[in-house]
Amino acid sequence: MIKSGKIWKFTGVGLIVYVILAGMLVPLKTGIESVEPSFGNAGEVLEIEVTGYNSHFKEAGNAVRAWLKWENGKALASKSIIIKDDRKLTLSFSIPGNLPEDKEVQTVSLLIDNPIDGTSVLPSAIFLRATKGNVQSENDKWVTPGNFSKVTGITFPFRNILGETIRNTYFHVPLWFGMMFLLLFAVINSIKYLRNGTPEFDLKAEAFTHTGIFYGIMGLVTGALWAKNTWGAYWSWDIKQNMTVVALLIYAAYFILRASFEDPEKRGRVCAAYSIFAFSTLIPLLYVIPRLTDSLHPGSGGNPAFGSQDLDNTMRMVFYPAVIGWTLFGFWISSLQFRYLRLQKIQEDLY
Amino acid sequence: MKDLHFILLLFRKEFLLEFRTRSAISGILLYVVSTLFVVYETFVKIQPTVWNTLYWIIFLFVAVNAMVKSFVQEKGNSVLYYYSLLNPAHVLLAKIVYNTLLLFILSLLIWTVFIFFGDNPVKEVWLFLFVLFLGSIGFSVTFTFLASLIRVSSQNATLLAVLSFPLIIPVILMLVKISAHALRLIQDTAVGGDMVILIAIDMLLCGVALILFPFIWRD
Repeated sequence: MIKSGKIWKFTGVGLIVYVILAGMLVPLKTGIESVEPSFGNAGEVLEIEVTGYNSHFKEAGNAVRAWLKWENGKALASKSIIIKDDRKLTLSFSIPGNLPEDKEVQTVSLLIDNPIDGTSVLPSAIFLRATKGNVQSENDKWVTPGNFSKVTGITFPFRNILGETIRNTYFHVPLWFGMMFLLLFAVINSIKYLRNGTPEFDLKAEAFTHTGIFYGIMGLVTGALWAKNTWGAYWSWDIKQNMTVVALLIYAAYFILRASFEDPEKRGRVCAAYSIFAFSTLIPLLYVIPRLTDSLHPGSGGNPAFGSQDLDNTMRMVFYPAVIGWTLFGFWISSLQFRYLRLQKIQEDLY
Repeated sequence: MKDLHFILLLFRKEFLLEFRTRSAISGILLYVVSTLFVVYETFVKIQPTVWNTLYWIIFLFVAVNAMVKSFVQEKGNSVLYYYSLLNPAHVLLAKIVYNTLLLFILSLLIWTVFIFFGDNPVKEVWLFLFVLFLGSIGFSVTFTFLASLIRVSSQNATLLAVLSFPLIIPVILMLVKISAHALRLIQDTAVGGDMVILIAIDMLLCGVALILFPFIWRD
């Protein structure tokens, strides 16, 4: 099938090795895992216990600084910081009586900065209830957080619910990209078969569909594991999960169709036509309908699936090679499958 | 103009074939009445949400049964005769139009029998009729194309059900959603968008079927 040497196969395998090593070994950035308690009242002293992730509070010692930050940019520096160990510290803030926003309940973010870990943010960390009638002018309390510590080193971002599972981005997402490329190639081969009837193209289409569906199943499994760790269940009846199962069922029917024809020429023609028809239903199924309803996946409600929120530059350095690597790997497996099918056919023709 | 003439002729042929035997329509009618009898006997009172789902499931099975015969009745030499005479696009289009009309009539029949046995939860009749029509097109395109694919196979009835159920799911999901509107089960301003998507899916499937049919009809 592909006679242009072995370079692309080595590239694919090399990229996957790189993705597994980099994706699994690069540490996560320091983050704030939890805050206890997560609510407070205006005009009181708020004492919160913070649990960090991958943090070095003890090592940083007195250099640790912390702020509560309102949405309008105003911030409050911590009154005192008691460091218990590397991951735990207790912060106390004296919350002023008049809060900077005109809302009954105000959400504030927590910022922690130290020279070893850099700055970490927990958005909407604490809910503050404004008390009525206790208005004093304490405008000098507000500060602008600044002079943040810069840390060098390669890290993946820390997202609260995701945690370490953010690494699944290099497996779950590229497998879907790979599946689409493989199925697209299956369709291209089907079209070629319909145009000139060379049996090779039929076998190629079958091989690519095989690998594509295998990728789809792997994408579903990695997604289910990810869902268990983030959404709480392997199956959440999310629209994308459901539509994917439908897509896999459509392609399962392809193999049933293949099995129900004896004559290879007829089988090739019918299966090629079905494969093209199936692929064209895949597009509304996977790319139109899920965008219209609410989904737990990123990218529902008309958003692009990947924005700057989901991938930072370090992740891009692994994610794009992962897409290319998994796709090339899929092509290699497909070419092996094709050669196997071709040998099988030769054997059938002989006896 | 000539295209239309051929399509009309073929449509007339389909209609005459059906009219002479009346096997499909009477068989389907019996199927609908007995199914709904069992359904109402067991459910007694059907809530509108359940009604909506039941309606489309029964319609789906009726459509499969009606469509199996779409290509199966033409065997052997008559196909060769068509092949020498006709443009495949005309054959497919005539069949799609005929099956759309047949399915639309069947869907109205199912609705009538539903009303006869129970009551009518449909609040917006014209919207519901339009949804039925769009659904008939989607079902007709998918089933006609698949029936033409598998007519050479020996076990075509089961194969049609196996192949068509996953393929029809995107269409049926949109149908259930829009018809929930007609029953006023949900209030959503995006009903127009849903309808555009359904029409787009119908047209996409129809286009692909028209492109592919010339390659597979010569068996």
